[in-house]
Amino acid sequence: MNIRKKIAAFSINQYKWVTTVIVLLTSVIILMAALPSIFPEKFPYLNSLRVDTDPENMLPANEHVRILHNNMKKVLQLYDMVVVGIVNEDHPDGVFNTKTLNNIYELTKFAKTLHWTENGEEKGVVEVDLIAPSTVDNIEQGGLGVVKFEWLMSTPPKTREEAIAVREKALKIPFLNGTLVSEDGKALAIYIPLTHKDLSYRVYSALKQKVAEFDGDEYHITGLPVAEDTFGVEMFIQMAVSAPAAMVVIFILMLIFFRKLILIISPMIVAMVSVIITMGTLVISGFPVHIMSSMIPIFIMPIAVLDSIHIISEFFELYQQTRSRKLTMIKVMDELFTPMLYTSLTSAAGFASLALTPIPPVQVFGLFIALGIMLAWILTIIFIPAYVMFLKPETLEKFGAVHIPGKEETLTITGKFMARVSKVTYRYAKVILTVAVLLVIFSIYGMSLININDNPVKWFTPSHPIRVADRVLNKHFGGTYMAYLALSARDEHFDRRSFARTFRTNAERRITSLDFREAASVFNEVINLIAKSAMTASSSKEVYQNAMDFINKKLDTTSDAFAEAWDEVSLFVEEEKQKNQIFKNPKVLDYISNLQNALLDTHVVGKSNSLADIVKTVHRELFEGKPDHYSIPATSKAVAQCMISYQSSHRPNDLWHFVTPDYRKSSIWVQLKSGDNKDMSAVVDSIEKYIASNPPPIPLKIEWFGLTYINVVWQQKMVSGMLEAFAGSFLVVFLMMTVLFRSALWGILSMLPLTITIGSIYGTVGIIGKDYDMPVAVLSSMTLGLAVDFAIHFLARSRQMYLSLHSWENTVPVIFSEPARAIGRNIIVIAVGFLPLLLAPLTPYKTVGALLAAILLVSGAGTLLLLPALMKVLEKPLFRSKPVAGQCCNCVACVVSSVTLVVLIALTLDSFAQVSWSTLTWFVVITVPVMALGCGLLSRREKCKILTNEEVI
Amino acid sequence: MITGKKNIVIFTMFMFLCSGFSAAYADLTDVDQIVNRTNRIAYYQSTDGKAKVNMIIYDSQGRTRERRLTILRWDQPDPDGKAGDNYCGAQKIYAFFDRPADVNKTVFLVWKNMDRDDDRWMYLPALDLVKRISSTDKRTSFVGSHFFYEDVSGRNINDDTHELIKTTKDYYMLKNTPKNPNLVEFAYYEMWIHKVSFVVVKTDYYDKENKKYRTYEALAVDNIQGFPTVTKSKMTDLRTNGYTILEYSDVKYTISVSEDIFTERYLRKPPRTYLR
Repeated sequence: MNIRKKIAAFSINQYKWVTTVIVLLTSVIILMAALPSIFPEKFPYLNSLRVDTDPENMLPANEHVRILHNNMKKVLQLYDMVVVGIVNEDHPDGVFNTKTLNNIYELTKFAKTLHWTENGEEKGVVEVDLIAPSTVDNIEQGGLGVVKFEWLMSTPPKTREEAIAVREKALKIPFLNGTLVSEDGKALAIYIPLTHKDLSYRVYSALKQKVAEFDGDEYHITGLPVAEDTFGVEMFIQMAVSAPAAMVVIFILMLIFFRKLILIISPMIVAMVSVIITMGTLVISGFPVHIMSSMIPIFIMPIAVLDSIHIISEFFELYQQTRSRKLTMIKVMDELFTPMLYTSLTSAAGFASLALTPIPPVQVFGLFIALGIMLAWILTIIFIPAYVMFLKPETLEKFGAVHIPGKEETLTITGKFMARVSKVTYRYAKVILTVAVLLVIFSIYGMSLININDNPVKWFTPSHPIRVADRVLNKHFGGTYMAYLALSARDEHFDRRSFARTFRTNAERRITSLDFREAASVFNEVINLIAKSAMTASSSKEVYQNAMDFINKKLDTTSDAFAEAWDEVSLFVEEEKQKNQIFKNPKVLDYISNLQNALLDTHVVGKSNSLADIVKTVHRELFEGKPDHYSIPATSKAVAQCMISYQSSHRPNDLWHFVTPDYRKSSIWVQLKSGDNKDMSAVVDSIEKYIASNPPPIPLKIEWFGLTYINVVWQQKMVSGMLEAFAGSFLVVFLMMTVLFRSALWGILSMLPLTITIGSIYGTVGIIGKDYDMPVAVLSSMTLGLAVDFAIHFLARSRQMYLSLHSWENTVPVIFSEPARAIGRNIIVIAVGFLPLLLAPLTPYKTVGALLAAILLVSGAGTLLLLPALMKVLEKPLFRSKPVAGQCCNCVACVVSSVTLVVLIALTLDSFAQVSWSTLTWFVVITVPVMALGCGLLSRREKCKILTNEEVI
Repeated sequence: MITGKKNIVIFTMFMFLCSGFSAAYADLTDVDQIVNRTNRIAYYQSTDGKAKVNMIIYDSQGRTRERRLTILRWDQPDPDGKAGDNYCGAQKIYAFFDRPADVNKTVFLVWKNMDRDDDRWMYLPALDLVKRISSTDKRTSFVGSHFFYEDVSGRNINDDTHELIKTTKDYYMLKNTPKNPNLVEFAYYEMWIHKVSFVVVKTDYYDKENKKYRTYEALAVDNIQGFPTVTKSKMTDLRTNGYTILEYSDVKYTISVSEDIFTERYLRKPPRTYLR
């Protein structure tokens, strides 16, 4: 008895034990996952269910852009924002009528109250940074020679004139025009900053309720944090719907195929237990349930029933021959064990290869599905036989296909259809091959058109309120997608000699401008001190500190005659020290303005706000509001004095959102009209070009951050990562196929249907112009594992049957009876099983559902048409050589698998150990000939000459 | 944060200092009397004065910015000399900025009027610009600090209604409610006034949701030329957790500063002798 039969016999004999163990294991997992989630305080050592809806986590926490993003947000006190847009297209004054402005005033007051204390931490709306008509300052002329700071709208207006005045004032302030008010006056936007991004759904819901009280205007609530958080919430609702829906669909389909309720319950149990244990393990091991991992159940479910369907199909065919549950089951298991093992291994490998992507949630997703698949396989081989033993023989009385010798069998619809297909493949083999070649050409063309793009807002269907808000608000305003361009001073290199020299030159110049005698001696004393101190100090800061300590001591003790000189030198040293405050430098501020113009030239950016805008606005208002004074003043002192004037307002802290108090870091707030990654990337590219041809006046580090930009970064990683994952899983599967069939040719053959399928699907994606986004990317490597299933079953069975039938012509009709029928059933079950996803209101689910169905149908067709056609054409080379005895006896297969293995190792080393490609090339160059030599020797061994049919599949 | 204990320490010391001139004291019950005395101690001691102010602005991350300025004050003489402790008249304030270096020589000039809005000017040397600033709203930041203009110049006592909420062993506690709530951001504020010296040791501002959002504390008080003088104070914004500390040094009263100094002409030409 071989191992396959042994396992089947074990679970048949010990069926009660097997069942008890499975029930116990499942219960333990459920308890361990559920208890700490429900009573977290009683089970502090166990992980509870954590939900993570933050797309930022698509990147590891130590990713450069995330560190920069968090650091810049902290130093500039920036928050993610919810945007509420109010639009009135009907009123002649737009939203600037007394009623609407009163409502807006009311809404702002309400928004300010949306904060809570949780665990001693204040969470929610950041009141002081809220941007609304009643919370921002207006700076303007207050009569002849008077400048005025006042609230833009301290109280709601009572007359039409007052309402319009609010608009007129806001339009004059560049910071507010296009941000707070739209140029046409039809719309107004309130920006509500949040302490934590994950509160946006809560704030969104509260605001939605509040605006329902108002009538007459359109209210739109959006912003990337809202979209992301709302998506997270809806995703979980979605999961609660789609996974059970898929379950129901699969159940109904199986009922149609096998018509025996009691029997088809077993695959459902296998699927459920696999899902429960996988998800339970996910929770227990402390991984959060992310957008990706929430899709695990819906992937495991159809895959888990696949093997069971093969078993039941076969059982269905054979049962009536023996009418013994035990004998039939052992026979079935003996026949199906290896193909089932390989199909599970390949599917698992396909998903596991996602671990090669540099995106943590995708890695978790891939690995846990792989786990689920192997679990389903184990459950299938031990539980299905055990389950059958629970059935009373009477219930199986009329089960299965009755084969009466000599009588023409009445064929089912599938049966008839398969019979026809078998003839077509034999007769029109060359036509099929030509079509396949054309398909490949079409795919390559289509793939060249692929548009890599994603946008979390577009994860909602076009009619979703968030999508509507997005469209409307981006029509009226500068943009609701935020990104930031960070500019920071480069760490200065402290060159002792040049530092001392520069100080001396500047000091001597100052001496000549001072008209009292004492100055020269006092200044020279300090020049010498600095020259000396520079030689031992480690930074300019230290030198200045030494100098100031010295000067202050002198100031305390000096006589009146020298006091003024010491005052002067103290001022001079402080001025020199301030020179590193580069964002007061007019040249740098002008450069920021130029960068902003370059941003506008991209036409994606609708508006940007910067420190330069603030300085220019203040400068203009200080000079009677004259437009020609909308400029950066000539000296850094003048800039500093504009800033101190600006700070005499109600919101002095606004300055610190644009520059740090040390004036060494600044950022431009960029409003984009589109959150599409390709648009953000276009902006990034054109700014990079601009900087390359227009370098900053002093060295600056210029980097992007902000949610819109972060999305671009992880998408780029996703695309390259997916390519690597795909290559990896392709090689793994190919290696497994070569090993399974002990022939490189058979290995290649088994890869063909899925290669053409994936090619043509992605080609179609390119041609119809669907964006290559996150779900599309993830699908590539996992369909590989799924689609090869059909080829394995088809080829393994064909080869087995050819041995006894001796010609392809004779084999075709047989292979198209039972095996092809099981394949057909599987294609339908999985493809249709994923279809409930189409009902989802979230596009990523729709995409996954539609694409998976398409991929399975196409690869099923590819298997059933292309493979038989190829086998007819390649009959000689495929079946010519007699099957070989051991793995290493086919020299070609051995070399091919060795090379594949080497490349696979190289690929893994590249993505995990960051070994350079030149090292890897050497590794490949050396190992490949060694292994080829080994293969040559191995295949010439004495043992390889002995052939036994037993050892062949 | 300054605890109540520390305040008590300061005040025990302070009571000793000023015991010489404080008459035997019975608790006052007339709220106006308390308000007037407090106002005088805070803003009208002697007839003029000067102080060097070191201002350190702290943000919630502990980052600091420093400003150094000299303040000169001149009071409109009491026309009939009868107001005494209750004196409250027009004032002129000249604030000269020394540091940061790039705002050196910037000047703020305030004419505090009793019957109309104040007059306010600023002089920005780098732009060579004298500018009048409209001052209908005095509750804007004083040069980016957590203090408002009104905290520096003094809020007109007639703008609020005052209630004596309670009298403790050492303090009077007053609740002040604005007569026109639309002009200010607070709903009311509570003051703790030291019973002997009439120094305000703490003021808490409450918003319309009755939530405390801003706090003033006197951190040190000295007796200077016989005048109880706050020499260190702190204003905290409880919403952002930022605060500003003011330290006064070189405080001098009765310096006989001339009224001419407080004119536009002296903005461009600072009066060196008074500023040294």
